[in-house]
Amino acid sequence: MSLAHINIFLAFTVSLVGLLMYRSHLMSSLLCLEGMMLSLFVMATMVVLNTHFTLASMMPIILLVFAACERALGLSLLVMVSNTYGVDHVQNLNLLQC
Amino acid sequence: MNMFSSLMLASLSVLTLPIMSSILNTHKNSTYPHHVKNIISYAFITSLIPTMMFIHSGQETIISNWHWMTIQTLKLSLSFKLDYFSMIFVPVALFVTWSIMEFSLWYMHSDPYITRFFKYLLTFLITMMILVTANNLFQLFIGWEGVGIMSFLLIGWWYGRTDANTAALQAILYNRIGDIGFIMAMAWFLFNTNTWDLQQIFMLDPNLTNLPLLGLLLAATGKSAQFGLHPWLPSAMEGPTPVSALLHSSTMVVAGVFLLIRFHPLMENNKTIQSLTLCLGAITTLFTAICALTQNDIKKIIAFSTSSQLGLMIVTIGINQPYLAFLHICTHAFFKAMLFMCSGSIIHSLNDEQDIRKMGGLFNAMPFTTTSLIIGSLALTGMPFLTGFYSKDLIIETANTSYTNAWALLMTLIATSLTAVYSTRIIFFALLGQPRFLPLTTINENNPFLINSIKRLLIGSIFAGFFISNNIYPTTIPEMTMPIYMKLTALTVTILGFTLALELSLITHNLKPEHPTNMFKFSNLLGYYPTIMHRLPPLANLSMSQKSASLLLDSIWLENILPKSISQFQMKTSILISTQKGQIKLYFLSFLITLTLSMLLFNLHE
Repeated sequence: MSLAHINIFLAFTVSLVGLLMYRSHLMSSLLCLEGMMLSLFVMATMVVLNTHFTLASMMPIILLVFAACERALGLSLLVMVSNTYGVDHVQNLNLLQC
Repeated sequence: MNMFSSLMLASLSVLTLPIMSSILNTHKNSTYPHHVKNIISYAFITSLIPTMMFIHSGQETIISNWHWMTIQTLKLSLSFKLDYFSMIFVPVALFVTWSIMEFSLWYMHSDPYITRFFKYLLTFLITMMILVTANNLFQLFIGWEGVGIMSFLLIGWWYGRTDANTAALQAILYNRIGDIGFIMAMAWFLFNTNTWDLQQIFMLDPNLTNLPLLGLLLAATGKSAQFGLHPWLPSAMEGPTPVSALLHSSTMVVAGVFLLIRFHPLMENNKTIQSLTLCLGAITTLFTAICALTQNDIKKIIAFSTSSQLGLMIVTIGINQPYLAFLHICTHAFFKAMLFMCSGSIIHSLNDEQDIRKMGGLFNAMPFTTTSLIIGSLALTGMPFLTGFYSKDLIIETANTSYTNAWALLMTLIATSLTAVYSTRIIFFALLGQPRFLPLTTINENNPFLINSIKRLLIGSIFAGFFISNNIYPTTIPEMTMPIYMKLTALTVTILGFTLALELSLITHNLKPEHPTNMFKFSNLLGYYPTIMHRLPPLANLSMSQKSASLLLDSIWLENILPKSISQFQMKTSILISTQKGQIKLYFLSFLITLTLSMLLFNLHE
């Protein structure tokens, strides 16, 4: 594996660890989620361009679109939590109300 | 070539003159009611001449003058059928109406809209004449609807009273249900015999006449208040007494019976319909006689009496004796109208008191009314050689000696005895005993209008039966030989009814008051029929239609089946099976450790 690939892969891993281990704000895990999406996008584009796999050059664009939708969903959840409690501390999400 | 048709048409057309005078606005002056009464008396006398010609020579006429329209193969024209039935009914109806008009000059004297009242009565009379002289079903239907409309307008005369409005509406609704049958019969005749003329229908003599005769039977049930469509007749007593006397005793309610009599050539051949008619009439006459036993309103008792006599007429048609039924129509008109007029006289004299529990002792205070009431009741129950005897006794004799349904016959006999019972009840409570009304009375029967009109009908009640039955030509041969007990059946049950009722009524002087028994409540509340039928079916219909219209498609199919059911299910199950406590960071951390461990294991496995 070349160095560029390892670089991007490392970026992905750092974002993943940041997503799974955060202190109190929900926003930080959402940010790391975006970081994961970004590194995936770069990785996919690099591979497709290097192997001249033209037919698959749709894939990074579609990935980006879905990432945008997911971003919107995540932000709306954040807004709902923030509406109720004022801050987005995760320890507030302790009442499972259905 | 004689004056038969001219005189008959003249007598029918003079009736329309006062209606047309409203163009000239002569109907606003105060002598208009007198003009109307005079015109009806002239029409009566004019119509006697063709009737006498008919009796003398048996000449029947059909006058077909104005061709209205032709729709493909159906020709509609204005045609009058002046045969046995219409020639005898027209003078009788005109005579009774003349007396009632004179009576209402006294009764409605203080009403500010008396001219309108007379106009309505006259319009009713014209439509009734159209009905009985109609030669085709279309003209008959015009008359049929006309009497229905005028009945509505006249029942709701005092429209400020809620009960009167609901009673008028009830009459229209029940009549409409009967009209469905009439229109079905008209449609069947149009399809199968290509005409609405009575002559062509009878000539063609179609084979399977079950459907149209059922339709006509339904129409008669609606118009003549047979069981099933009967509650409008007692409710129609909300109208003024002249209206009750004219419409709901002599003229309008016999329209249904008249229709069945007109179609007797078709009914002769159809045994099924005859049995149905017989059973329907028997049920009606018994049921309404039972209901009449415990009513407290004098007009309602007489209304139920009318209904019971109508059931008797239907029974007569059911044993294939249309001419006897017609004779009973004519004789019944006299004494029933007179009974209503006497009750009107009593009501007005006691300052609008209609409850028989608050009347009494009028035997000495109102001798003329007492006389006519007693004679009317005796004629109603069929006392020998008064009017009712000539028709009612013949009916009972014929029913006894014919091959008929024994149960229907038994019902009719019981109803005959009950006739005597409720007549005795009226006489006992209204006339005999000590007065139960307030001491300050306005008892007055000195008005010549009242006296003359009741006197005319009184003479009719005594002599008309004899007069008519001696002057008509023989139609169906009555049964001449029968055992003595059968001959005296009607008389026996009537005398039985009289004695029983008198005995029971005299006992009430000495009884202590008790709670009403179940039989009493059944009879007093009209057999619970209006209570059930006016509430349950409309509620069921309306709620079913509301539910199927709004709930079935909209809320169940579009909303509830997929979306809401899924969300409900998910919520319930997630509450049920989740044990989450919301420790997100712990879950994420465990995920990370698992991931790291697995990657290490798989990569350094070697």
